[in-house]
Amino acid sequence: MRGSWITVLLVGTLCGSARAEPALETFFAKHCVECHGPEKNKGKVRLDLGLDALFADADLPETVVSLLEAGEMPPEDAAQPQDAARAQAVALLEQRILANRPANPIKRLTRSEYSNTLKDLFGVEFDFTDLLPPDQVEHGFDKFGESQLMSPHQMVAYLRTARFVAERLLPDEKPETRTWEFDVRHFHGSKNFATGGGGDFRDGDDYVLTGFRPYRSNLHFSIDPTRHEQFVVPAFGIYRLEVKAHSEKSKEGEVIGINLGDGRHPTNFRNIRRIPMPHGSKGFTTELTLKAGDQLAFTFDSARVPGRSLAKKPHQGPAMRFSHVKLTGPLAEQWPSAAMKAILPRPKMKPAELVDHIAMLLTQRPLQTEDRKAFVAIARSQETSGAAMTATARSMLITLLTSPHFIYKSESPELTGVELAHRLSYFLWNSVPDAQLLEAGRSGELADDSSAQVERMLADAKVDRFVDDFTRQWLQRDKVDDFGPDVRVYKHVRRMTVDSMGREGRELFAHLLKNDLSMEHFIDSEFVMVNDRLARFYKLPPVKGDAFVPVQLPEESERGGLIAQAGFLKLTSTDFATSPIHRGSWILKNLYNEKIDPPADVVINEPDIRGAITIREAILKHQQEESCARCHSKIDPLGFALEYYDPVGRKRSEYRHVKELPAEQEETVFTKKIEFTTAPIEATMTLPDGREVRDLPTLKAALMADKERLFKGIIGKLISYALGRDTTLADRPYIDSAYRASEARNYSLRAAIEAIVAHPEFRRK
Amino acid sequence: MARRTFLKGAGVALMLPRLESLGQVEEQAPRRLLTIVNHLSFYQPKLIPKTDGTIQEPPPLLANLSDHFEHLRMYSGLNNPAVQNGFGHTPCVGILSGYFNKLHRKNRISIDQAVADQLGDETRFRSLVFQAGENLNFSQISWDKHGLPVHQLDSPRKIFNLLFQVNENENVQQQILAEDRSILDAVLSQAKSMEMRLNATDRAKMDEYLSSVRDAEKTVRKQAHWSGRPKPVVDYEIDAFDRKSVDDYVATLMDLAVLALETDSTRAVTVQIPFWEGFKEPELTGNYHDLSHHGQKKEKIEKLMMLEHGILKRISAALTTMKERKVGNTSLFNQTTTLLTASMGSANAHNFDDLPALVFDARMKTPGYWRRKDVPMSNLYLGLLQQFGAEQDHFGESNGTFDLLA
Repeated sequence: MRGSWITVLLVGTLCGSARAEPALETFFAKHCVECHGPEKNKGKVRLDLGLDALFADADLPETVVSLLEAGEMPPEDAAQPQDAARAQAVALLEQRILANRPANPIKRLTRSEYSNTLKDLFGVEFDFTDLLPPDQVEHGFDKFGESQLMSPHQMVAYLRTARFVAERLLPDEKPETRTWEFDVRHFHGSKNFATGGGGDFRDGDDYVLTGFRPYRSNLHFSIDPTRHEQFVVPAFGIYRLEVKAHSEKSKEGEVIGINLGDGRHPTNFRNIRRIPMPHGSKGFTTELTLKAGDQLAFTFDSARVPGRSLAKKPHQGPAMRFSHVKLTGPLAEQWPSAAMKAILPRPKMKPAELVDHIAMLLTQRPLQTEDRKAFVAIARSQETSGAAMTATARSMLITLLTSPHFIYKSESPELTGVELAHRLSYFLWNSVPDAQLLEAGRSGELADDSSAQVERMLADAKVDRFVDDFTRQWLQRDKVDDFGPDVRVYKHVRRMTVDSMGREGRELFAHLLKNDLSMEHFIDSEFVMVNDRLARFYKLPPVKGDAFVPVQLPEESERGGLIAQAGFLKLTSTDFATSPIHRGSWILKNLYNEKIDPPADVVINEPDIRGAITIREAILKHQQEESCARCHSKIDPLGFALEYYDPVGRKRSEYRHVKELPAEQEETVFTKKIEFTTAPIEATMTLPDGREVRDLPTLKAALMADKERLFKGIIGKLISYALGRDTTLADRPYIDSAYRASEARNYSLRAAIEAIVAHPEFRRK
Repeated sequence: MARRTFLKGAGVALMLPRLESLGQVEEQAPRRLLTIVNHLSFYQPKLIPKTDGTIQEPPPLLANLSDHFEHLRMYSGLNNPAVQNGFGHTPCVGILSGYFNKLHRKNRISIDQAVADQLGDETRFRSLVFQAGENLNFSQISWDKHGLPVHQLDSPRKIFNLLFQVNENENVQQQILAEDRSILDAVLSQAKSMEMRLNATDRAKMDEYLSSVRDAEKTVRKQAHWSGRPKPVVDYEIDAFDRKSVDDYVATLMDLAVLALETDSTRAVTVQIPFWEGFKEPELTGNYHDLSHHGQKKEKIEKLMMLEHGILKRISAALTTMKERKVGNTSLFNQTTTLLTASMGSANAHNFDDLPALVFDARMKTPGYWRRKDVPMSNLYLGLLQQFGAEQDHFGESNGTFDLLA
C-alpha cells in the first residue's frame, strides 16, 4: 500500500471532494468512534467531530493515515474494516492532506547562517557565531521557521551583535597590531591553585601537561612573570598564535586543545580549536578570532590519564611540553579594508542612496519604498547632525542588520530567481549566494536547469558548511560527548577518541557526497571512515594522522554503516548503561524519519537500569501497556539488537553492571569505588512485521530490506533541511521523485540532492 | 578583616535615589527575597535537630543561627524527584527548579526567578545572582521562564562595580542607548509595513518579532532610565581579592547581597556559596570540595566543621545586619524572606535528595523544625511563591504547598 500516491490521486479525482467527507465520517463512525469518541476518548483523540476538526490538528491526520495503512488501528482485537474500505479511507485522507500543502512559515537566519553570511558578504574571517544565542530546537532542524523563536532576549542580542559587527567592519581608525611573547616564566597551570589535582608542572624551560581533564591540568599565562593575572585579549580581531610545543614519551600524533576561559576556574573552558600535532611536531601556528576580554589556555587533549597529583606517583606516559607562545594581533588587513569599500563605495553618499546600497548589499533585494522611510530618516538625521560618513554608514549597517529585511529570508509563493539562489545557497553552503549563483538566479538559468550550479557548488569548499551543519543536527553529532565516559569504567576511551567518534558521521556523509556513492553505505558498508584514533579503537590496520580516510573492513567485522558507528552507539547511551529505547527511537526518527514522541499524557520514568539484572524485563513492561505498545513494539527490537555494543560502542558479550559502592566503605576519599556484576545479553526480538532481529548484522539486514523507506526518510530529512520545514504526507510525490532519481543511480546521495533541487517543489515557498 | 567594615551608620537609606517614575510613596514596604544555596551542603548530623517542633537543643552547626530561631522554619529530608542522579555535581543545577534531565540542555524556571518575576520591574536589576566561577557547568542554578540560564556573577569586584561604581562612559552609553531606541523604532516600522504583505502564518511570526522589538525597547528604555540616574553611594570597600578563602568569599558575597537589597538595587538576590576554593586559615589545609567528600574520616570532618561553622556564622551575621538596617520605616529583615538550602543532601554520599531548607521570615507565627522525608522541595517553593503573591497552585514537581508563615 505504501508509496501508492498515484492511485491515491486517481481515487481522489474519481471520488471528488464533495463525496469525501460523508464517506470518511461513515468510516470513522463505524470503526473508530467507539474508542475515539465522546465516551472513551482514548489517547485524547476524537474522530467524531468532523473533518475540519481533524484537520485543525497539524499532525493527527497523518498519524491516522499511517496507523490505518500499517493496520495498527483498529486494534487487533476489534472488528477490522474490509481492505477496500480501509484503502478508500486512507485515500480520502491523503487526498485532503495533499491538497493542504504544509505552511512554510517565514524563517529567520540561524546563527551559523548569520555568521557565514557576514563572512561571505564582507570577505572577513571573523566567526560571529557565538555572539548570538544558540538556536534551540526541540526536533528537526534549526532552520525550521516554525520552531524558531523570537524573543526580546534574541532581539537585544541582534542589536548588540549588529553594533559589534558594524564597529569592527567600519572602525574609525586602523587597529594597532601588537605582539606578545610568553615563555616558561609567564606560564601557570592548575597546580598553582587550590583546585589541587595538578598533573602539570614546570620543568626547566618547559611547562609540562600530563592529564586530559581541563580543570585538573591546563596551561595559561600572565604578562608579568611576577604576578598571576592572566593575559587578557585587549581587542576584537584575528590573532596569529605561534606555539612551540612538543610531545614526549609518545610514539604517535597528539592533540593540543585551545580554550577560552579563566585558567584558574577552568571547568568553564570552552574549547575553540583542536590542533593535531603529528608525531615529531615542534609546534604550530594558527589564526583565531578573539574578543576583548577573552583569556586563552591550553590543554593536552590526547593525554592518556586524567589530571592528578604527581606527588605520590610521578607521571610515566606521554606528556606535552610547552616552551614558547607568541600572539600577534589584531592582524591588519589592507586599509581601507574590503568591507569598508563594499559598505561605503564613495566617500560621500546621500542618505537614501546609502540605505538602498546597504540593503541591496545585504540581501540582493531592494527595500520597498514604504519600508525604507524610517531608515532614511535615521541616515538623514545623522547627516543633519554633522556625523562623519563612516559613522552614518555604521548606524545604517546596525539598523539594517537588526531589521526584518536582513534577519528574515524572503520567499514568495513562487520563488523569484534571487530568492531561489538564496534557498539553494543556504541549503548547500549555509550562506548567501555568490555573484555567479545570483546571476544564474536572475537570468532564469537556475529555475530551468540547476544541475550546473549544483555541481559547481558541491565542488566548492563551502559545501563543508552544509555537510557539517546538516550532519550535526541530523545525527546529533555534537551530543556524542555529552556523557562520560566514566574513566573508572572505560579506562581506554579517551577524550580524543570520543571527539573522533563525533566526526565519523560527517566524514561518511562527505565521502559519499564527494565520490557519488550510494546511500546504502549509511546502512552497511565494506569500508569505514576513520582516523588514527578511531582505527585503533575499531582494531583496524593503523592509519596515520588525524584526517579521516576510508579503510576497508576485514571480512569478520560488523562495522560499517551509521548504526555500527561508535558515535551513534555512545550518543544513545548514558554514562554507564546502554539504552535500547534511545537507540531504537533514534533509528526510527532519524533513518525512517518517523514522527514518534513520548505520549504527552504519560510521565516517562525511564527505569534506572544501572545495576538492574533484567533490563529486558524492565523495558518490556512498555509493551504490555496498550498505549506504549504501539510505538515500543517498533522501537524495542531495533534497540535490543544493538545490545551487544556497550555505552562507548565496543563489542561486548555480556552486560557489565556498574554499582557505585557507598563512600563509607572506601579507603581513598576522592574516587568512589565501583563494583561490577555481569549478566547475559538477550537481544533477540521480533519486529512488528514478524522479522527476527538478534544482533547488529541481522539488524542491518532488516534495515537494508527496508532501504526504500530509509532512503525516503533520509531524503525527507534533506528536504526539510533545505526548505526549513517538516515534511508531511503531502511531500510524498516530491520525496518519491527524488528517491527514484537516486535509485536510478544506485541510490546515489548526490543524485538525491540534485533531484531535490531540480524538483518544482524546491522553487515554491 | 578591616575591609569588612560594614556600611557605617544608618545613612545609606538617605542616599538612595527613590524611583521617581513610581510617582507615589509606597503604602507598604516591598517584599524581598534572599536565596542562599550551599552547593556542598552541610554536615547534617551536626545540623539537624533530633525532634520536630520548637528548636530546644540545637546541634552545633545550627547553633550558629540561634539569634534568628524565632523567625526560622526549618525542614529536612526534602527531595527533588525530577532531578536525575549521576554524573558528578551536574545535578546541582536543578536545586532551585527541582528539575535536571541529563539529556536536556534546558531547565525549568528556578524559584528565585519565579519570585523575581512576581516582584516586578521597578529596580535597577530584576534580580542578581552571585556565584563562584562563571558558568561552571554545574553551578548554574538560576533559570529564567524559558529554562535558559540567567547570568551569574562571580567576581565580588564586578558585582560591586555593577551596583555602585560610577560609569565613566556614561555619555557614550547614553548616546548608544538613544541610538538603539531610534534603531528599534525604525525596524519596528519596517516590520509593520512588511507585515502587511505577508500571509496569515507569516504575520503570526512577524508578530513575535514586533512584540520582541517592543519588549526590547522597554529594556533599552529601562537601561537609559537607570543609566541617567546616579547609583547609590555606599561606604564599603572591597580589597584586592584573592578568592583563596571560602570564609572571606562568603562574607563578601553576603555583604554585597545585603547592600544590593538595602539600596533597593534589586529585590531578589541569590547567592551560591563557592566550593572550589581552599582557605587560608593556617590550621586548615586542603580545600572545601575535598573535605566535603570526607569519606567519614574524622580529621577531615573536623576540618569541614570549622569551615561550615564559618559559613553559617557569616550567614547569621548577614541576617543580624539586615535586622539593624532600616529601609523606610522598618528593618530590612522585616521586608526580606531568606531561604537557605543546599544542592546536595550530603556531598560525601553525593546524593541530591534528603535536602535541608531553612526559611527566615519576620512574619511567621510558629517557628521550629520539621522533618519532611521525601516531600518535594517544590512544595516549599510553591509556598514561597504564594507568599510573594503568586496565584499559581503548582510549581515544578509540587504535590502540595508549605505554609511558611504559619
